[in-house]
Amino acid sequence: MTGRSGRTAKVRDLDDALAVVTDGCVLAVGGLWFHNAPSAAVRALVKRGVQNLELLTAPPSSFTTDLLVGAGCVRRAYLPHVSFEHLGLAPNVRRAVEAGSVELVECDEATLLGGLMATLEGLPEHPVLSLKGTDHLHSSPLARPGRLSDGTPALVPPALRPDVALLHAQQGDRFGNIRHWGAPFCDPVLAKAARHVIVTVDEIVDNALVRAEPHRTTLPSYLVDAVVEVPFGAHPCSSHGRYPHDEEHLAGYLADCARGELATYLARWVDGPAGPAEYVAAAGGTARLDALEEVVA
Amino acid sequence: MTVPPTTAELMVVTLARELRNGEVGMTGANSTVPVAACLLAQQLHAPDFTLILPSGVVNPAPGRLYRSASDGRWLAGAEAVGSAYDLFELSENGRLDVMFYGGVQIDRHGNINLTRTGPPGGPPAFRGPGLANISFAVVCRRIMLYSATHTPRTFVDRVDYLTAPGHLDGGDARRRAGITTEGPVFCITPLAAMGFTEPDRALTVRSIHPGVTPEHVQAATGFPLPEPPPWPHTPPPTTEELTTLREVVDTTGVLRAPAATRIPSGGASR
Repeated sequence: MTGRSGRTAKVRDLDDALAVVTDGCVLAVGGLWFHNAPSAAVRALVKRGVQNLELLTAPPSSFTTDLLVGAGCVRRAYLPHVSFEHLGLAPNVRRAVEAGSVELVECDEATLLGGLMATLEGLPEHPVLSLKGTDHLHSSPLARPGRLSDGTPALVPPALRPDVALLHAQQGDRFGNIRHWGAPFCDPVLAKAARHVIVTVDEIVDNALVRAEPHRTTLPSYLVDAVVEVPFGAHPCSSHGRYPHDEEHLAGYLADCARGELATYLARWVDGPAGPAEYVAAAGGTARLDALEEVVA
Repeated sequence: MTVPPTTAELMVVTLARELRNGEVGMTGANSTVPVAACLLAQQLHAPDFTLILPSGVVNPAPGRLYRSASDGRWLAGAEAVGSAYDLFELSENGRLDVMFYGGVQIDRHGNINLTRTGPPGGPPAFRGPGLANISFAVVCRRIMLYSATHTPRTFVDRVDYLTAPGHLDGGDARRRAGITTEGPVFCITPLAAMGFTEPDRALTVRSIHPGVTPEHVQAATGFPLPEPPPWPHTPPPTTEELTTLREVVDTTGVLRAPAATRIPSGGASR
């Protein structure tokens, strides 16, 4: 390693890094839909039995949101859109919202990002002018009516500040410089808004590689508190540029949930494997996961 | 002998014809039909059309279609990768010309419900996927609607919850709500191509697809269609359209696979 003498490494093991995610905290989860989701970290939280989370995600989310809600870890959630894309609805979110067991905060991308932008700007609120004509004006607490200084009516979502942001990227170095190979999407905003940032990466790379290509760094180390190497850590979601989502696994999850057997899924995939390596072995091993590229349409 | 177009292919070609050269368009989830339409339009009459995927990928050209809207493989050959911040900028600065929406419910004035059904207040009878990009329905110049299903459950008289504004109560209601853009101008389904006629701006049949009867379309629509038959048939794809679609856009036949003829319903858009 070419790190300067005495520089502190931010590499942690998964459970150690996740110790900051305590019951009742405001947790932001990155990625979008089936992609770049910190699935291994979410499994570890479910296994530990974290509770009463206030969950905030990228505007579109999927598997990790549904797993956290299904496992009963979430008290309140900001979810503009959650689905399994072309595979269907998010079964546990749907059930929890219909049963009223999770408090769903209606919001959309503009108001959610407005709230996050306020935090980035160090302001108590960030006006948004683009939202009109929707029933969200009456049902979303983020669509709070207010005015600009010139009197123009505006919506003023209050600042949203996650306690912890949980992200997944393709590479990072041991000091916490992160490289997204694909779409970073909301991850940089979540990282800047959160008090504490944990990033799982498929691979820890040498600091010299980061320095050779500094324009490829998507999160500089000063934004990152802990980096955890978890090969295939996004599975069954994709890690852009490394492996696609595992549609067979996701369909299996949906089938288990449709039968009311989330517990079966949790026993096999969350509580069963001793850790991420055992999980990958159970999911068919690296040979199968490397070959997903050939089979997922 | 050319294999005749599937319903999904006919929907793509018909939607592509509505897109204009120079426009900037954005797609959401469950968007195989709109994405294919944008890519096809770029190959034919709209080389200056800009396509932005919901992950922020600009002008993808992977040489095939992927089922997942944000699949990492859309990046291959794309021109840029934006972020959520760029989407925020697009909405607040009104930079979009075309947005594509599906709905759990779509009503006679093109309003979209992706949120919930059942009476207001209390837990919903049905919780939909929700919609992230509501503001795009306000700020983008034109809205194209699409639905994989055409049933009275999808096409309702009035949405139970108004997630994204179409023409609201019809007429000039959009303008009265402070919205300055055109709103929905077109709707493609497996049965018909529809538009919105003045002055009421209600959903009206423009053409019905080959093999579909007017009675079927009316029975599948949960409100009386304003202009009675006869309705013309949707012009079939030309040889150029179909060949380009199959040989350049959809080289693996996603739109010809059995799953694509019943494109998943409802959960469209972010």
